[in-house]
Amino acid sequence: MADYALFLGCNIPNRLPHLELAARKVLPKMDINLIDIPEFGCCPEPIGIQELSRDAWMAMAAINLCLAEEKGLDIITLCNGCFETLRTVNTELKNDGHHKEKVNKVLSKIGKEYKGTQNVKHVLEVLYNDIGVEKIKANVQKELKGIKIAVHYGCHVLRPSAILKTDDPFQPKSLDELVNALGAESIPYLRKMLCCGTGIEGIDKENQLWMVHDKLVQVERMKADCMTMLCPLCYIQYEMGQLQLKKEPYKAQFKVPIMYYPELLGLALGMDPSELGFKLHRVKVDPVLQKIQ
Amino acid sequence: MALKISSEFRKEISKLGEGFSINYCYQCGTCSGGCPALRYTKVYNPRRIMENVLLGFKEDTLKDPVLWLCTMCHACLEACPQGVKVSEILIILRNLATQIGSYPEHLNAEVSALLDYGLINPGSGAIQRRRQQLGLPEVPRPKVDNIKKVADETGFIKLTGYKPKEE
Ligand code: SF4
Ligand code: SF4
Repeated sequence: MADYALFLGCNIPNRLPHLELAARKVLPKMDINLIDIPEFGCCPEPIGIQELSRDAWMAMAAINLCLAEEKGLDIITLCNGCFETLRTVNTELKNDGHHKEKVNKVLSKIGKEYKGTQNVKHVLEVLYNDIGVEKIKANVQKELKGIKIAVHYGCHVLRPSAILKTDDPFQPKSLDELVNALGAESIPYLRKMLCCGTGIEGIDKENQLWMVHDKLVQVERMKADCMTMLCPLCYIQYEMGQLQLKKEPYKAQFKVPIMYYPELLGLALGMDPSELGFKLHRVKVDPVLQKIQ
Repeated sequence: MALKISSEFRKEISKLGEGFSINYCYQCGTCSGGCPALRYTKVYNPRRIMENVLLGFKEDTLKDPVLWLCTMCHACLEACPQGVKVSEILIILRNLATQIGSYPEHLNAEVSALLDYGLINPGSGAIQRRRQQLGLPEVPRPKVDNIKKVADETGFIKLTGYKPKEE
């Protein structure tokens, strides 16, 4: 069992509790032990708070890093945004004495000190690098045979690659391989690397929805049974987006189930669908579940 | 007002974070070619922003709301043949724009939630009940006072004009 401090962030616990449920129930089956640190706050969010003040963003992120250090635990994140913030700040503070000194001066006001003893990992890295495709394959009880899946990575698990170091920034393969390991088939599709657009949602919702629309068109065109991803913000865009795209000017009727990868993993490990939170999906996942039965 | 070409702004950016890399920009437009924000908004263009910085058009660059249409996908930073850290420079520019009060209104709500609750999405009673039904523990309860102290110490409270919520 590898112990990790579970970093939930804001969106998963407060908007998508079924993703949290899947992570908590499924990851321990792969020997990942999740430990709660109730004092964890917002990471803070990298595409709003960092843009206002990078210095403030770094210092606030360092509070979370200190909390994990105090427990002697590495952090596992379930969200690309949390990952980008915590991995970036941890890397910069570890490698740049000047930043570290500045941040520690601020942290001293709340009796904390950043030391640089722990690592930050995305759940994708833990599954792909630490557990590995072979071990996952060996644990599959119910192959997801015949299920075609459109994989979406999300930008902030990949780029900037020099800092995040997870996979190729434009041609990643880790999540595709993790999907194939379950007996399902990761299908190629156009616009696979198109961003979900969360970063401009607050300013230009209309065009952001066109971004979501254009990806869903390609996913449907390839007759995918569902999409899968590992970021709650991407999840919200592609799931809620389908409801929003029904209206003018889009008038689009998509029915693409959105599955959080740990949910697929749980099903393949033989869990009953009733153990997971599929009722909370806004786009019904029944067609996928029926195909697996 | 006529635009005056100068190297002052470029020199200022060069001193901040990854800003120095802007000096290597030769205006090839590779960043714009792969930019989803340009593709979808039509008005946003990272190559043009780099050009305006190189030419020294500080005010125009920082006050233009278009600056906030980048999705921060970091494709430009990976693709630039000259190693210009385009998206990192955009963050520097947005930090400078914030200092003159030019940032999107909706970020104020995010700042308030962050400093009031320690979470930008504090959740509702309905979510709490749903979590209970799913057998999930209570949501994280960050020490808000610590976050506020750190925010204050870095000048973030003054910068954003944050006011605590009325009890
Ligand atoms: S890709 Fe690089 S060199 Fe080319 S215009 Fe963009 S920033 Fe300049
Ligand atoms: S980070 Fe911004 S400027 Fe760069 S490619 Fe993405 S949307 Fe365009």
